[in-house]
Amino acid sequence: MQAFRNRASEERQRFLRRLDHELKNPLTAIRAGLANVAAVPDEEERHRILESIEAQVVHLGHLTTSLRKLAELETRPLERLPVDVLELLRTAYDLALEHPLAAERQLALVLPERHHPLPPVSGDHDLLSLAVYNLLDNALKFTHTGDTIELRGFANETTVVVEVADSGPGILPGDIPHVWEELYRSQEVHSVPGSGIGLALVRTIVERHGGQVGLHSEVGRGTLFTFWLPAQDVSES
Amino acid sequence: MSADTKSKILLVDDDSAITESLAPFLERAGFTVSVAVDGEDALLRSGSFAPELIVLDVIMPQLDGREVLRHLREAENWTPVILLTQVGEASERAMALEEGADDYLNKPFDPHELVARIRAVLRRSALGQPSLTAAQRLACQDLLLDRTSRRAWHDSEELSLTPKAFALLEYLMTHPDELITRDRLLDAVWGWDYPAGIRAVDTRVAELRKALADDPSDPHYVETLPGQGYRFVGAVEVVS
Repeated sequence: MQAFRNRASEERQRFLRRLDHELKNPLTAIRAGLANVAAVPDEEERHRILESIEAQVVHLGHLTTSLRKLAELETRPLERLPVDVLELLRTAYDLALEHPLAAERQLALVLPERHHPLPPVSGDHDLLSLAVYNLLDNALKFTHTGDTIELRGFANETTVVVEVADSGPGILPGDIPHVWEELYRSQEVHSVPGSGIGLALVRTIVERHGGQVGLHSEVGRGTLFTFWLPAQDVSES
Repeated sequence: MSADTKSKILLVDDDSAITESLAPFLERAGFTVSVAVDGEDALLRSGSFAPELIVLDVIMPQLDGREVLRHLREAENWTPVILLTQVGEASERAMALEEGADDYLNKPFDPHELVARIRAVLRRSALGQPSLTAAQRLACQDLLLDRTSRRAWHDSEELSLTPKAFALLEYLMTHPDELITRDRLLDAVWGWDYPAGIRAVDTRVAELRKALADDPSDPHYVETLPGQGYRFVGAVEVVS
């Protein structure tokens, strides 16, 4: 019990430190912008600075909304309707094809043959779609030109499995345990834009659906993200 | 807009950092603005200032925004109200509308969005149309919506809609003849602002259209404005 409390306390400390970091930079940029705008006589330059300040403020707004959503997700009751996972995967895949980086990657969708359909999952269609899409978005952002990204779905009678596998640079062993945490951003990829909330959302969504998330990665070879969800009849028994 | 046709807005928020910048912004947008700093002040000014619309923050000390709204509606005061609320769950949002709010906006918001909502609400009340927000039952042609029981009927047959599709239909029907962007629907019905979530809106609109047999190219109910959003085009009436 004490070990659990210690871990929870450590996680909270890490989260607060990261939140501080996420807020510090935009706020510093805003203050610098405001100091400039007061001193600059040229109207066009002032306008440009104000636009830059607004971009920082909008970014902070997104961060606030994301954190709020994450908090709500952890507590509010889940919508429980039958979800067609095949359709969900196809839609998320089509959406990923429109991602600005998709043209520079090799995307593939691997689904079971017709006579082995996926059993339905009981849950919230839109949240599960977001979870799948976030994994694809993550793979697109952290791989390089020419890398492959494969979205796979398969199942047995009791469990539906979704995988996103890429041939990208992989995740450092030291980062792997932290990847699912809110606002975690590895030093390796701090230049990639994003809120650091995407994977935390995936984990919360999957766990609220009674499922589990998993990650396997090898530097120089690639990364495999997996989540397992109980099939409808199983979760309701 | 001449001075004597300027609409009067009562802005209620306990945070002076907000009111000190929002009030001048609303005045520059062409409104006459009075500021109340808490619920009791709001009730006093709603009488003395007689605003045409109230922008009401929910989280305030002593009397909060919801209680102010309840007081107003119980006293048969139907001044349109826009709630500034950090509403999360869909059911909370539905409740905000049921309690008699005409619209709600989550903080942080773009002040231009607030002005757009104020104008839309004032336009409806200027046309002498009754507020749809207090209504439990709404109708449009052969479509009937019962908000309390969360049920809908078309051509006297009950519709089988997912909760989100119902909430979407409810939002569209309580804001008829108004262009509503997908981002706004995503925020209002789902409480999200993820770009990827936009598809969820399209999926539910498709579900609604199928249930209502509404042809997108010749809609009786939901019209698509390409590149902009959706609009509920049918005339909506309150049903007793």
